[in-house]
Amino acid sequence: MLTLKIKRFQAEREPQGWIDIFSLEPRKGINLLEALLRIQDEQDGTLSFRYSCRGAVCGSCAMKVNGNVVLACRTHVEDLMEKPAFIEPLPYFPVLRDLMVDMSTFFTRYRELEPYLHGEPVSSHQEYFMDEDKRKEIDPYINCILCGICFGVCPAFERDLQYLGPAMLAKAYRFLIDPRDKRSEEILKIVDRQAGVWGCNTVFRCVKFCPKEVPPTHAILKLREKILKHRLSSILPFLSPRHK
Amino acid sequence: MELLSHDVLVIGGGLAGLRAALEAKRMKGHVAILSRVHPLRSHSVAAQGGINAAFGNAPAPVKDTWENHAFDTIKGSDYLADQNAVELMCQEGVERVLEMEHWGTLFSRTEDGKIAQRPFGGTGFPRTCYAADRTGHNLLHALYEQVIGLQIPVYEEWYALSLVVEDGSCIGVLAFDPFKGNIIPIHAKVTILATGGYGRIYLRSTNAVINSGQGCYLAFDAGAPLEDMEFVQFHPTSLSGTNILITEGARGEGGYLLNAKGERFMEHYAPHLMELGPRDIVARSTQTEIDQGRGFDGEYVHLDLRHLGREKIIDRLPGIRQIAMDFAGIDPISEPIPIQPAQHYSMGGIATNGDGETPLTGLFAAGECACVSVHGANRLGGNSLLETIVFGARAGKKAAQKVGTGGTGKNETFFQKCLKALQSGLDEIFGRDGKEPGFLLRDEMKSTMTSQVGIFRRESDLLPAKEKISKLKERLRGIGIKQKRLAFNNELIQYLELEGMLHVAEVIVEGALARKESRGSHFRVDCPKRDDEHWLRHTLAYKTPEGVRLDYKEVTITKYPPKERTY
Repeated sequence: MLTLKIKRFQAEREPQGWIDIFSLEPRKGINLLEALLRIQDEQDGTLSFRYSCRGAVCGSCAMKVNGNVVLACRTHVEDLMEKPAFIEPLPYFPVLRDLMVDMSTFFTRYRELEPYLHGEPVSSHQEYFMDEDKRKEIDPYINCILCGICFGVCPAFERDLQYLGPAMLAKAYRFLIDPRDKRSEEILKIVDRQAGVWGCNTVFRCVKFCPKEVPPTHAILKLREKILKHRLSSILPFLSPRHK
Repeated sequence: MELLSHDVLVIGGGLAGLRAALEAKRMKGHVAILSRVHPLRSHSVAAQGGINAAFGNAPAPVKDTWENHAFDTIKGSDYLADQNAVELMCQEGVERVLEMEHWGTLFSRTEDGKIAQRPFGGTGFPRTCYAADRTGHNLLHALYEQVIGLQIPVYEEWYALSLVVEDGSCIGVLAFDPFKGNIIPIHAKVTILATGGYGRIYLRSTNAVINSGQGCYLAFDAGAPLEDMEFVQFHPTSLSGTNILITEGARGEGGYLLNAKGERFMEHYAPHLMELGPRDIVARSTQTEIDQGRGFDGEYVHLDLRHLGREKIIDRLPGIRQIAMDFAGIDPISEPIPIQPAQHYSMGGIATNGDGETPLTGLFAAGECACVSVHGANRLGGNSLLETIVFGARAGKKAAQKVGTGGTGKNETFFQKCLKALQSGLDEIFGRDGKEPGFLLRDEMKSTMTSQVGIFRRESDLLPAKEKISKLKERLRGIGIKQKRLAFNNELIQYLELEGMLHVAEVIVEGALARKESRGSHFRVDCPKRDDEHWLRHTLAYKTPEGVRLDYKEVTITKYPPKERTY
């Protein structure tokens, strides 16, 4: 028997929220998202949560399960059978209803990056030529599905709610290293602030919890390095012996 | 009454919808997108293997041309595709794919830095451009980024409940904002449906949970015809159990299909193309192996990638490796993947011309919910993504031109009348005290469709299936909804979705019953031959008070006369 303790919130019913316990006999091999859908069908039609692909590619169903932040569709119920599993909404974001959170601040940050290729001019009859090695360098960062899990596990938000966040910094880095994007200083300028790359605690929680193996901390460290090099090269002439 | 208004309203935020919106916006239209999920959660994101365009970038004995692509597509369609539409797609596709690259899609590369291409089914030619095996993800994110750049507004997580039709013209929609619980009329000079497929009417489907075919139903309900709906694509390789897609690219990279005796069984069915036969043939072959007892546990066969080696799997197929590990607990580097056929795609859809226009003035459609028809009776892998961007762009462009010449008018009183009618319909539903839960009906529909309207069809299955769907429609009229508030009313949304799915299912069954031949994906065990004399024609289905009315129209043939299809 699978038992789920689900943190509920429905403003019109109980503004303080409450906890419900649901039990079901799971079919072999099902995942947590399927279990939630069954509860919605059979036990409580008002239970609210987001879903779409059920294959860990769309990023809809991030939530907190026994203290870990995961995609529900990627979580096997076999791993939750031992004791009642505690299901909560994705941390950090305001709750709209039950397990549905308001992700608008997440996408506001996303838009701040101007997250679209500012392309170098190229003939409309051919592609930009790119080395496969270069593609492989960008690829880990482009695999981000913007599910918000890295926000939910990032301790930097405890200090600063305005922090740009791991997914966004990975996205900034993705454009920075793309040879097809003509920006460089512009991108560094967006992230060179306390609420940007300098806000990261470098505890690698985002890297550990990312369901798509995106390494935001690596991007953050590389962005810091580039910023420092940039600063250093701008003050270097004043430090050299000739100026003394 | 709050009445929103746009020149062009696109319903659906997947590839076709976003591409249409972009094009209309670039033509200076006042455009908005309405989508039941955030656009990045659309099912396009799950597309894996790639997108076809005749670049000829990969080494091959002969130079690829768009004409070759067109021929393969037409042959693959079992000659039911409209050849002028296929030619348009294959010709313009090259430019559209380049444009996606210029917008930042991170395609895999050849040694000389060009877009990499792999072989896909039904061609035997490396024509499918890919971004590892996450092509849909890469394309959708790149397009959404462009939408952000052009600041196109999106009504996120809103539903379109019905189209508003005045004097034979679509003048907008009645939309539902589930957060506030409001029904909001939106006037649009042109409405473009881009709502994707209906896979969830089947029990076994690779489709996302959101793929209920709502756009097809909205158009059908408003009087537009649905075309060729009996042609349902079954993908040969879905992960056994969950039915998550395992890309054809896995076979394109050299993967084998093996039965329980360890035989590469495709040599009995498509001796030349083997595993890279077209999907209808490979799906039927796979199901035959399982049905005749040469599968595992009577359920699945193996897709074996082990001989490709670790490096190639990690490099070219990292996404499906992750899926196999996450959802089946196996690593394809060391174990074969258990696979079974599952519903995957709809060749049929809302009838449109090459500019996305439906027979209903003011209403356009693009992508999987539309039928141009470029896929005919069977779609080739890699052509659906291509269709979304080619015909999405064409629909957006034509829509913006229509707006320039006036488009439909904004009649507030008429919207008010429609809103009232919708509300009284909802009041009736809320007033019922039916105790039967809706999910039972939904599950019965799904089982019926998979077991009786699946890969192999016969009249003795289709007749009871028709009866069953019609009974389910009756039972639906007795279903009550416990939750009475409109805000966040999951039950109401599922009820309305089920209503649409039952209508779409009925159209599929009726089309399949009537078509007494076998062509592409539509295989009638009791009529196993293709019959060009009687059935080289498109089915059109109309909604009438008496039920589905079927009509037919000519297939456009340009320069490829129908021939026997062998691989």
